[in-house]
Amino acid sequence: MPVIDLWAKDGYLSTPDGNSIYFWGFSKSETGPAQLPGPYIIAKQEETITVNLYNKLSEPVSISFPGQPVVTVGGQPVQPQYSDGQLLSFVNHAEPGGMVSYTFTPSYPGTFIYESGTNPHKQVPMGLYGGLVVRPADYNPNVKEYKTAYGAGTNTEFDREYLLITGEIDPDMHQTVEEGKPYHVSKYLPRYWTLNGRCAPDTMLMDHVDYLPHQPYGSIVMGQPGEKILMRYIGAGIDNHPLHPHGTHTRVVAVDGRLLKNGNVDLSYKRFTVLVGAGQTYDQIYQWDGLGYTPQNPIPTTLPNLRNMGIGDAGWTMWSGSPYLGMKGDIPVGVVSYNEFGEYYFMLHSHEELQITNWGEFPGGMMTWVAIYPSLSHDVGVLK
Amino acid sequence: MATVKKRFGATDGWVNMPDGTSHYIFGFVDITGVPENQIFQYRGKATLLAPLLEAYEGDEVYLTLTNLGLPSRPDLDDTHTIHWHGFPNQIPLWDGVPEASISVPVGRDFTYYYKPLDPGTYIHHCHFEPVEHIQMGMIGPVTVRPQLEKELGRKFAYNDENTAFDREALIFLTELDPKPHHLVANVQEFDWTEYSPEYWLINGRSYPDTVKPADDPSFPQQPFSALVEAYEGEKVLLRFVNIGFQQHCIQILGIPLKVVGLDAQQLRGYNGEDISCWRDAIYIAAGQTVDAIFTAPRAGIYPLYNRNHYKNTIAGTAFGGMVTEIRVLSKP
Repeated sequence: MPVIDLWAKDGYLSTPDGNSIYFWGFSKSETGPAQLPGPYIIAKQEETITVNLYNKLSEPVSISFPGQPVVTVGGQPVQPQYSDGQLLSFVNHAEPGGMVSYTFTPSYPGTFIYESGTNPHKQVPMGLYGGLVVRPADYNPNVKEYKTAYGAGTNTEFDREYLLITGEIDPDMHQTVEEGKPYHVSKYLPRYWTLNGRCAPDTMLMDHVDYLPHQPYGSIVMGQPGEKILMRYIGAGIDNHPLHPHGTHTRVVAVDGRLLKNGNVDLSYKRFTVLVGAGQTYDQIYQWDGLGYTPQNPIPTTLPNLRNMGIGDAGWTMWSGSPYLGMKGDIPVGVVSYNEFGEYYFMLHSHEELQITNWGEFPGGMMTWVAIYPSLSHDVGVLK
Repeated sequence: MATVKKRFGATDGWVNMPDGTSHYIFGFVDITGVPENQIFQYRGKATLLAPLLEAYEGDEVYLTLTNLGLPSRPDLDDTHTIHWHGFPNQIPLWDGVPEASISVPVGRDFTYYYKPLDPGTYIHHCHFEPVEHIQMGMIGPVTVRPQLEKELGRKFAYNDENTAFDREALIFLTELDPKPHHLVANVQEFDWTEYSPEYWLINGRSYPDTVKPADDPSFPQQPFSALVEAYEGEKVLLRFVNIGFQQHCIQILGIPLKVVGLDAQQLRGYNGEDISCWRDAIYIAAGQTVDAIFTAPRAGIYPLYNRNHYKNTIAGTAFGGMVTEIRVLSKP
């Protein structure tokens, strides 16, 4: 039986504008850093899993598993906890210095959130949340028809997969909690918006970069033309966020870990913007096929002299300088290009555009890229 | 298939609200066919909304963007782009994201090429510092018409006779926060996390201006009326667009809506299942479009409004804002 150990701890988040923000998060080990979001939990349908929570914070902490009907502690279903007659936790919690052990058996596959169930109006925005992926019982990543989100025969095969967890940060709230002062939730006013715990442009960095010890997950989505890229959105913040990937539509195949299918009737649909509500999850297939242009089948317009155009106004560009996939062109002197092999970059961002700023400064916030490479290792886009 | 050649100028201008206030905007103006030596006469004449871009499925669209500069902000030499929001399988060169390809400096041109293959309702907007340039008004509608219209000589939202309609109207939703417009006009910075709109607009106007004619001389830079008129029994397609920064919820009192498409995709399951649906309210997030059809009921006036009622106001007080009217007339 898989056993996951999580430690609830504190730490400091880094934002690209140089801010350092106190937060609470889950850690994989007693000595490791708290992280935002918490460690991804990968479980399997019909396989019982135990999550042990060790509480290193100064107030009770718990974990709720929305979408899992029966979670037990000590063999009994989890129950709300009260302190002096007042609701303190939706589920059994661990006292400071203590631990609590949750056990459940996911009965259906999908994408889920796990989050604090104790003072959640404070603890969830403080960072006590993470993503839970449940593999279908017949999952086999080595066989194409069994590498699916929802089981063989559900039209949810994928080549690569990514978790994208939305969140917001109101720095005043975090500072108030750090100082141990009471916080008024009605004053909630986010200044930062996060994907997988990072603000752009940090979202564009790889996983596990040394200088973001508390924010181990990047959110660059990478794939090849024609591949089925599974994007698992989780709304972990207080607000709803309309996520818009450039390049092409997504097909929404499941919401809240439930396949969009009634019997044989497929209810999936395509969108170019999906509103990820608080606590919701959306599983979608993104498949970019391109327009077929190559140097042998050239574009029907003339590329202007690039020195006359705006390139890299932000101080950098992701562009190759060429219209063609896998080709590089002449980027004007003095412009830094982060393009590697002539791959294509498509922005993926919240369309409530103030959310793609860091405290009002563009670029930032809830923004990342979908990068389409001419060829890409099979090791990329694997959830571990 | 036809070739569509259009040219949009990027510049600035001013828009009027029902309370008598004027607000500085950035935007686009249609300069298709204007002789080269006359294009600068269009500086300062941006419109809210930007011009409609319309094509048939399979057409070849050459859209040239010319940056005419900002006469009210001559110090500001921002580049601009056109992003066709939702274009399937786009390549970065024509996607209009400055950080991922090209943007257009003042005095320069760039031609975007599109061969749309999926009918529906899209959006075009500038993607340079989008929080600023979208709020400032660089936003417009895109309609792609299905081939079925040409084959049958009637109107359809998609290549499906179940999406037939007699008339269509645009319900293009945005908000206007006067503070950043004022600050941008006066060369000041705005903290966008303080965004707090006071005007809610349909087709660039606030009610009662929404029901005034398109060519009303009071709105030289707001050329889109939002008045919907139809005869009893006619089918009307409403093309909802939200390119504001808030979520909106639109109702028409007394008229249910059949939602046939979302985000320029007919509502169809993986195997073509019909998953169109009836709604009394269209909940629409920023960056989404919804195609919905209604059958005009008995003659009368049917108000269209935002169920977030606080948005049906002008500067937070007077009744108005995100409201228009469906006027159904008896058959002649």
